[in-house]
Amino acid sequence: MSRRLRQFAIVHRSCRLNRGKNMSNNRWKFGIAAALALVPASMAMAQEAVGPDPLSTLCAGGQANAAICLSATLATTTTPTVQSWMSPDVGAAWRAGYKGQGVTITIVDDFSSTSKFSGNFGIGTQTQRHGEWTREEASMVAPLAAIRSKDFSTSSAVALAPGLNVLNLSYGMYAKAGYSPSQIGWSAEEASIISYATKGTAVVSKAAGNDAVAVGGVTGGQQDYLDLALVGKASAIFVGALNSNGTTTNKASMAWYSNTAGSNTAVQSHFLVVGVAGDKTGLYGTSFAAPIVAGYAAIVGSKFTKATPTQITNQLLNTARTDTLVGYNASVYGRGEASLSRALAPLAIR
Amino acid sequence: MREKSGNRVRLCTAALVLSASLMAWSAIAQEMTTSIVDIHQGSLLSDRARSLGSGGYELQNGSRVSFNQWYHASWVDMHVDLLTPITEDTGILWGFGTGEAAEKYRIAPSLKLGFLTQMHPGPNSTLSLSFTATIGGKLTEKTCQANYGDLGSFNVNCRLAASEMAPEETLKYLVNAKPESQHLWLNYRVTF
Repeated sequence: MSRRLRQFAIVHRSCRLNRGKNMSNNRWKFGIAAALALVPASMAMAQEAVGPDPLSTLCAGGQANAAICLSATLATTTTPTVQSWMSPDVGAAWRAGYKGQGVTITIVDDFSSTSKFSGNFGIGTQTQRHGEWTREEASMVAPLAAIRSKDFSTSSAVALAPGLNVLNLSYGMYAKAGYSPSQIGWSAEEASIISYATKGTAVVSKAAGNDAVAVGGVTGGQQDYLDLALVGKASAIFVGALNSNGTTTNKASMAWYSNTAGSNTAVQSHFLVVGVAGDKTGLYGTSFAAPIVAGYAAIVGSKFTKATPTQITNQLLNTARTDTLVGYNASVYGRGEASLSRALAPLAIR
Repeated sequence: MREKSGNRVRLCTAALVLSASLMAWSAIAQEMTTSIVDIHQGSLLSDRARSLGSGGYELQNGSRVSFNQWYHASWVDMHVDLLTPITEDTGILWGFGTGEAAEKYRIAPSLKLGFLTQMHPGPNSTLSLSFTATIGGKLTEKTCQANYGDLGSFNVNCRLAASEMAPEETLKYLVNAKPESQHLWLNYRVTF
């Protein structure tokens, strides 16, 4: 049996699968298959052999404090600029000066592999690791949020910071189809993430996947068990990709590669979509959808400073728009396109 | 909204009325007759309150909220200024403002009290000095109750409820303004 971890734009990783209680000691270590049903532009990414990301080395090594990673506001640009790939909502959000401050976004991703690829978020072409891309994207959407980098090769539990926490997961945990999530012998890392989503102690923004199937669906005989483990969890959000930011006059449709919500109402009710303008950035995949929602969660959290992660999650889900989508259907788009402006607005006022 | 040119016309009218009253003053002073010096509607605070009514935002369901519904007053603050002579060259200036109110603001009624005195440096010239103080007339913006669904209901600044600002932060930006509380006026007139 093999198991693979897919970044929804890159790969690498090993983990263990547990076949039920009676087989708790019977675990397999799976080789990692770098798979990525990526998109053409990403397939053309530059691969370079380079040293590990200096920011992520703080998380590596497996020490007791390995999960205490970098906690800093990344200075991507001195003055945040609304980029063409962003929703206009983001600019409107910044104008009042609230940009995610007081919120911590932890990017659980690849910060140490030699795999890099090129793209441009509007600040010049760069060649970076997958985690560096998703981290940069989240920090551009919520420029005043504290950003932590957690290299997922460490497998240690993800630590939470004081205040509101948002976790970004732009990867999946794939194994042969047919198991129950409870049969999986999760590492401390994923176990902590699943626990946070279950208890509602962190907003978990999870990339839906790039196989053009329903979340949790079988592709190539395998399933994303991290998806399955997060279904029905209080503060988990699955994020699919649209081919653009939708408006009522220029509606968006699902990106051809994006996983959909499917028929499971528990998934539909926690599924959002956002525009991934790969034509502008050269970066495609739901890997780049999840950090947008992570950034939105941080901005909403910077306004509602006493809100719980579950409340922030529900606010984003309840305020999603369906009138900006081509042929809205819950089995495709779930709750609809995330709308930052509506998540910040009252339901009623008098 | 009242235009600035309208304010100027109002002020000129007031000055003319005041001058006319002064001319008639000496004739009526002995009878302690009270005269109307000025009547006008609107003020700087009225203008400011009305300016709050521009703009709006969308609620979560996409319905539009216009600020105009909250900041449109059916009655505009009216000011009446009166003069009661005490002697041939002095008098008491007094008056009142009715105030105005809309759903989300209120300009309180006001009282004005002061004096006017004059002297004659020459046979054809008059130097007059007046001072008035105003009590009340404060502009107070009211709060809204905003329901953010799962996140609860908050007291907010109506205009900033959909901003990125924390609900409690918006309250810092409520408008609370006082009118011009004191006014000193010096006038020299030569007739030839």
